[in-house]
Amino acid sequence: MALRGVTGTVPNHPVKTAELPYFTQSEADTFDATVGIKNRYIAPPDVCASDLCVDAGERLLSGLGWEKESVDVLLFASVTGDYKTPPTSAIIQDRMGLPSTTFVLDVPMGCCGCMYCINIAGNMLSAGTAKRALVLVGDTAMRMGNPNDKSRGPLFGDSGTALALEYDPSASDIIIEFNTMGSGASALMTPHGGYRHPITKDSFIEEDFGNGIIRAPKDALINGMDVFSFAITKPPISVKKMLDEQGLDKDKDVDFFLVHQANKLIVDRLVKKLKLPVEKVPYNLQEFGNLGGASILMLMASELGEELSSRPLTMLCSSFGLGLTWGTMLLRTKPIRVIPVSKI
Amino acid sequence: MTNLEKLNKIFCEVFSVEEAALNSEFNKDNVEGWDSVHQLSLTTSVEDEFDIMLDAVDILEFTSYDNAKQVLAKYEIEL
Repeated sequence: MALRGVTGTVPNHPVKTAELPYFTQSEADTFDATVGIKNRYIAPPDVCASDLCVDAGERLLSGLGWEKESVDVLLFASVTGDYKTPPTSAIIQDRMGLPSTTFVLDVPMGCCGCMYCINIAGNMLSAGTAKRALVLVGDTAMRMGNPNDKSRGPLFGDSGTALALEYDPSASDIIIEFNTMGSGASALMTPHGGYRHPITKDSFIEEDFGNGIIRAPKDALINGMDVFSFAITKPPISVKKMLDEQGLDKDKDVDFFLVHQANKLIVDRLVKKLKLPVEKVPYNLQEFGNLGGASILMLMASELGEELSSRPLTMLCSSFGLGLTWGTMLLRTKPIRVIPVSKI
Repeated sequence: MTNLEKLNKIFCEVFSVEEAALNSEFNKDNVEGWDSVHQLSLTTSVEDEFDIMLDAVDILEFTSYDNAKQVLAKYEIEL
């Protein structure tokens, strides 16, 4: 399976850290310097992840010259779909005018969503049941949380990304190493709103947890220390394992390391721990924040356009998040179409 | 500057406090704003200042001023 093209879309509403309601200018300056997220794009209430993804998907298909009838698989990775039911991927199939023969699937796997989709699409395309897949990854993560939760709000941005994949027997294998630690699931969760704890009046009762953390059970939460502990220990081991098992020299054999843009402290930590060559580790979190599952694809679209479109690349991708899940993906690409990031 | 002065300077900068505030009560439970971001910021600064690479378990132990000194002792940083 070969990657053919990638692009991303963000809402045209940039928000600097100091513009967030719970930060003073001094606090914002400190946040920018340490966490590294200086800007994020926030979707207005009437814009969903699917809207951003549809824009990215339409532009990508158009840029590649792919007929919509040729798309066999549509995957939508998001934890902010339009409704609890039906699957948003089905709605997108209709909106984009994709054929009724399209296999659709929602993949609510958070920050590893892109990797899961590439795995699913890769298996389908390799099995010969499909030729072309469109992967859409996006979220409006900001609104999952409480607007007054200082521990979560400033970290995220909203986006939609699109990746085109095609069966190609001459393409290099894509190798993915997945891991799951469900025992840590409560570190990143939305307590109410599912069928374990349906929404009730209590779901809206806000609690002040101190340190600027105010949220209700309906709001997504981050247990910072647990996530932090997970993010600085597990992903580096996975990346090291991939390098060792594939016999890759990180200095010679890998062109770029694409690390999930959780925040600068965590990405820097992984770079330092693995002694990765810093010039091979692109960042875009300063502009977009943590985009969840779209992080890796937005890195390709925003930072690697020229490289990806002009020469073959070997990229090692590291993602980690909800579940808790984490993984490392080895991508070897031929030149692909990279369509510039759009703001709508 | 001594190693202790360097450590104190880092704490003061990360938590925006005066050096006099640094005592055995200065810990994660008592200090406002001591969250995961501040903790990683603290340990990153310590690593840069003392040219060491802390193990993950030691980063997680960095939950008080006293603990910080104990962790640094493991890395043969004399305070």
